[in-house]
Amino acid sequence: MTKDTILKATNLKKYFGTGDSEVYAVNDVSLNIKRGEMVLIMGPSGSGKTTLLSMLGALLDPTSGDIIIDGAGISSMKDNELSVLRAKKIGFVFQAFNLLEALAVEENILFPSRLNTGGIKSAKPRLNELLDRLGLSQRRHALPNTLSGGEKQRVAIARALINQPPIILDDEPTGNLDSHKGQEVMMILHDIARDEGCAVLMVTHDPRVEEIADRVLWLEDGEIRDRKSEHHSWVKDPVCGMRVDEWTATVTTIYKEQKYVFCSHRCLERFNNEIDKYIELSE
Amino acid sequence: MIYWSLKTLLSEPLRLIVSALAVAVSFILVIFFSAVFEGESNQMVAYLEKMDTDIWVMQKGVSNMHMASSMVWDWKAHKIAKMPDVKEVSAILFLNGPVKIGRKDWFSYIIGISPQHHRAGPWDLIKGKAIPDQGEAVIPEVITKLTGVQIGDEITMNDRPLKIVGLTRGTFSMASSVVFVSRKDLGDLVEGNDQYSYIMVYAKPNVSIQTLVDDIKNNLEKVNVLTNKEFIESDRQLAVQMGAEIINMMTIIGTLLATLIVAFTAYSLIARKKQELAIAKALGFSNAQIYIATLCQSIIITSLGLLLTLFLSYTLLIWLPMVVPQINLSIRIQQFIPVVLIAFPVAVFASLASARTVIKVDPMTVFNG
Repeated sequence: MTKDTILKATNLKKYFGTGDSEVYAVNDVSLNIKRGEMVLIMGPSGSGKTTLLSMLGALLDPTSGDIIIDGAGISSMKDNELSVLRAKKIGFVFQAFNLLEALAVEENILFPSRLNTGGIKSAKPRLNELLDRLGLSQRRHALPNTLSGGEKQRVAIARALINQPPIILDDEPTGNLDSHKGQEVMMILHDIARDEGCAVLMVTHDPRVEEIADRVLWLEDGEIRDRKSEHHSWVKDPVCGMRVDEWTATVTTIYKEQKYVFCSHRCLERFNNEIDKYIELSE
Repeated sequence: MIYWSLKTLLSEPLRLIVSALAVAVSFILVIFFSAVFEGESNQMVAYLEKMDTDIWVMQKGVSNMHMASSMVWDWKAHKIAKMPDVKEVSAILFLNGPVKIGRKDWFSYIIGISPQHHRAGPWDLIKGKAIPDQGEAVIPEVITKLTGVQIGDEITMNDRPLKIVGLTRGTFSMASSVVFVSRKDLGDLVEGNDQYSYIMVYAKPNVSIQTLVDDIKNNLEKVNVLTNKEFIESDRQLAVQMGAEIINMMTIIGTLLATLIVAFTAYSLIARKKQELAIAKALGFSNAQIYIATLCQSIIITSLGLLLTLFLSYTLLIWLPMVVPQINLSIRIQQFIPVVLIAFPVAVFASLASARTVIKVDPMTVFNG
C-alpha cells in the first residue's frame, strides 16, 4: 500500500454571507490524505464537517485556499473539468444513500461508469466483483425501495467504487443504520482502503469507528486538529456494552447523579425504558 | 443521463400519464374554443354551401345573408330565368329572426320557400316532408332533442302558429338554425309576397360565371350579384368578425392557462427529481448532460401530451355532438400548429429554468438529502 499524498488541502477557508452577517464554516484548514489511509473527520454538529467534505469533493468552491487531488490543483478548473475529476477521482457515499429510485441495483452501481473510459461495457467485470464482495449478487435487479438500509448503503459503496477512484468521501455512512449494520459498513470501507489503496475520508459522529481509522481529525468552530494522540476516556455503553469515548460522545444522560454514555439514541431509549435492569447489568 | 430520464419517467407510469394529460387537457381547452368557433362559422354558411349554386342575386347594398335583410321584386327572378345562359333559378324569402320552439326562442335563418323552388329547401330531410305548405314548418332535428317537440307540435313565428311537418339534419347552429316555412307565410309576415330575398342562379354548362354575373348586373338595376364563392366568403367573414373578438379573448386566456400548465408540469417534473439530478452532478455528470436529461423528460411529456391532445380532440369531435347535439365542432390539423409552437418552447424553457437550480448544486442537497 503506497502512502503518497492523494489529497492535499492548504489554508482552506469557507465564509458564508458578507459584512456583519459573515460567518465562517471552515477556517484555515490544511490536511494531507495519503493513498490507502482511512481518516475520520469528527466534531460537533455545525462545526463545518459537511462544508469541508463538499470542498474536498469539488462540489463547493472555497473562499480561499488550495485543494490538490492526485497532483492536480482544482482551484483553476472549469466546471466541466471538475465534473470529470469527480467522476474519475472521487467516490461519494452519503448518509441518505442517495440511490436513484428508478434504477435497479446494478444500474445504480453502473451509473457513474457511463462517465469513465470504456463506459458500462468495460465496467461489467468490476460490477460483478463488487456485487460479490458486497453480498449483493442476489439483489442485482432489485429496485432501491425494496432494499434494507444496509443493502442500500452497500449499493452506494459499490457505486462509489465502480470507477476505482483513489478517494472515497463518506458523509455519515452509518448515520441511518443500526449499530450492527453500521459496523458492517465500516468494515467494508476499512477493507476497501486496505485492499484497493483508496483514501477513505469519512465524516462521522460514531466514536466506535475510531478504532479502525488511521487518523482522526477533530473539527470544531471550523478549525481542525489531529486527535489520534489525544487522551480518550473510554466507557461502556450500559445497554449494548460497546466501548464509547466519553469525551466525544453526544448521547448521554444523568441518572441519580451518575453520568451514562451511549453509542446511539436507540440505546438511550432502551436505557430509559428499563433503567434499573441496565444499571444492574453495568454494575 | 438520457437512460436515467427514460427510466425515471417509466418508473412512474401513472404520474407520466397524469402529467401528459395535464398538458393535453390545457391544450384541448384552446383547441375546443377554436373548434367551436370553426364549427359554428362553418354552420352559419352551411345553407349557402349546400345550395351549391353558381350566382347569388340580392338587393343592392347587401352582400350577406347573416344579419341581413334583402328584398328583390319577383319579376327580376323571372327575368333572370329567361336569360340564355341560365339553366335554372331558385329563389327564397329570408328573415333573420327568432322562432319560438318549445319554451325558447331560437334565433334562426327563416327560409320561405315555394314548391316550384324546392331546390332551395332542406338538403338532408330525416323525417316528414321537405317543402312546407302554408301553416307548416320544417325544423332542425337537434331542436326536437333539446326541447322534446315532435312532428305535429306547434311552433310560433312572430305570433304566427306553424305546425312542424319535417325534421332536418345539418341545419342547427347555436347562432342561427335553419327553419323552413312556406313563402306565403313569410311573405305575409314581411309584406313581401311579390318579392324574394335571394335569387340563386344555376348557369348552363360551360358558361363563364363571371360573364353571367356581368350580364345580370347589366340587365337588372338595384341588385347586387355575387358568385357563390364571393357570397359564402363574405358571410363567413361576417361570422368570423362577429365572434372573433370573443373567441380571440377566450383563446388568449386558454393559451395562457395552457402555457402555465405546461410550464408548471415541466418545472415540477424536474423539481421533483432535483435531488437525483444533484446526485448525478456530484457523481460527475456535466451541466450539459443534466440539461439534456431534463430537456429529454420535458420533451417526452410534452410530446405525449400533444399526442393525447390530438387523440382526445378527435374523440371529442365524434363523441361530444352525440352527447351535446347543439355543439358544432370543426377541427383542422392546422389548429394544432400554434399549440405545438407554444408547447415545446414553454416546456424547454421551464425545464431549463428548473435544471438551472441544479447546476449550482448545493452540497447540502446531496449530503443531507
